[in-house]
Amino acid sequence: MTRVIEVPAQFDDRSFDQFAKGFAETDGRRVLFDAHATQWASPYGLVGLLAAGQALAEHGAERPLLTLPQDRDVVHYLVRTGFTRHAEELFELHGKVPRVQAHGDSDVLLEVTPVRGADDVHDVVGRIQERAAAILTGELHLDPQATMGFAMALSEACQNIVEHAGTGGWVAVQTYTWRRRLGRRVVVIAVADAGVGFRRSLEATQAKRFGDRWSDAAALEAALIQGVSRFRDPGRGQGLAGIRRYLNRWQGKLTVRSGTARMALVPPWDDDVPLAEQLPPFPGAQVLMIVPAQAG
Amino acid sequence: MTRIDLRDVLKRTVSGVYGDLVTRRTGQAVRDGIEELLADVDGEQVAVIDFGTVRVLDMSCADEIVGKLLLTSGAARYFALVNLHEGHLDAIEPVLERHGLAVVAQTADGAVRVLGSLPDAARRAFGVMLSDGPAPADEIARRLAVTRDAARAAVDELLRLRLVLPDAGGYQPLRCA
Repeated sequence: MTRVIEVPAQFDDRSFDQFAKGFAETDGRRVLFDAHATQWASPYGLVGLLAAGQALAEHGAERPLLTLPQDRDVVHYLVRTGFTRHAEELFELHGKVPRVQAHGDSDVLLEVTPVRGADDVHDVVGRIQERAAAILTGELHLDPQATMGFAMALSEACQNIVEHAGTGGWVAVQTYTWRRRLGRRVVVIAVADAGVGFRRSLEATQAKRFGDRWSDAAALEAALIQGVSRFRDPGRGQGLAGIRRYLNRWQGKLTVRSGTARMALVPPWDDDVPLAEQLPPFPGAQVLMIVPAQAG
Repeated sequence: MTRIDLRDVLKRTVSGVYGDLVTRRTGQAVRDGIEELLADVDGEQVAVIDFGTVRVLDMSCADEIVGKLLLTSGAARYFALVNLHEGHLDAIEPVLERHGLAVVAQTADGAVRVLGSLPDAARRAFGVMLSDGPAPADEIARRLAVTRDAARAAVDELLRLRLVLPDAGGYQPLRCA
């Protein structure tokens, strides 16, 4: 017997909670992630799906199944993003994985990339600069110096995995044109892990201070707003604050989901809520950063 | 003056492949490399740390290289940071503020200023020494139109933070070049 978890047709940060709800209801039976009807997946969806597979693997669950999308373009996209290469390690894939040639002009600025240690962070930062600088300045009209801040934000988000997750994770970066939602081009960074999450990471140093209020939301508040870290070193806990400053300057969006809560830095162009609680639980932490094109 | 090129230190201590100062581990290794280079250098010499060949500096690395270096050695040694671009400043300034530190810095366009936490009076005293030349506390008081005691206190703060040097009866900002 298997338990089927449906991958949303449009799988992104907005539909992620629907996916997480299915994942939270796993009951020991083998899991089948059914993406056959998926028509589109954002980097956030892809790294989140890998985190789900990783969580099951780390709990010793039977290797889950993953049905690939039927849509030819979607499955080609999954290959092009590097998703299927990593998915093969975590899932038993059902459906043909096509051979896809690399596109020189791809919108995929950074394929789905594992982050397990400091060397991976160096690799990610080096690769993103080679590919992203021209797009960030030419298409998103960011100041050339802003590409340094972009790499800094990416580095800090990846380091959160290395320093706090207690396990590996994934990162992916892509550009889109958001015609309906924003009417502009955006660059999206998604980072996800299936590690201990913010609440457990901060519990030893922060739970007492918050008392009865201690929760996933309180842990996010401590990390994002107050800049605290599980380390007592006063220099720690600056990474997320740096990400916030960078995104604030460029009217970007930041969301961090961990456990049952999600906190967001909401720019004027978006209608998200600053804090969502009592969401379906999901392991680890998932970070989304969106930088919109500036007025040309 | 001792000049330290961070790219060289990175190459020597971590890897010749990396061109970026990112991650705490890299920052620790680079800071160790800087301290090793300075071990035999007289503390009265200004250690000029050159960021000109560094592409990306993240906050974790800035905390290890600049923050912790100043915390451990800043009371016994003069430091200046040179060839900083906006991206470097974005990483370094919050680190200095967080630790309550200050350092003399020269940006890539040649402008010299104090980065980090510094009382307003001390910052203005540093500014007039930079623009009008070295001076004793009395002259700084005159230039700023403040009392001698106020100027003296500002200079003492700059000396404590090792942002200025005594110079022929007066004081001058650290030289970056």
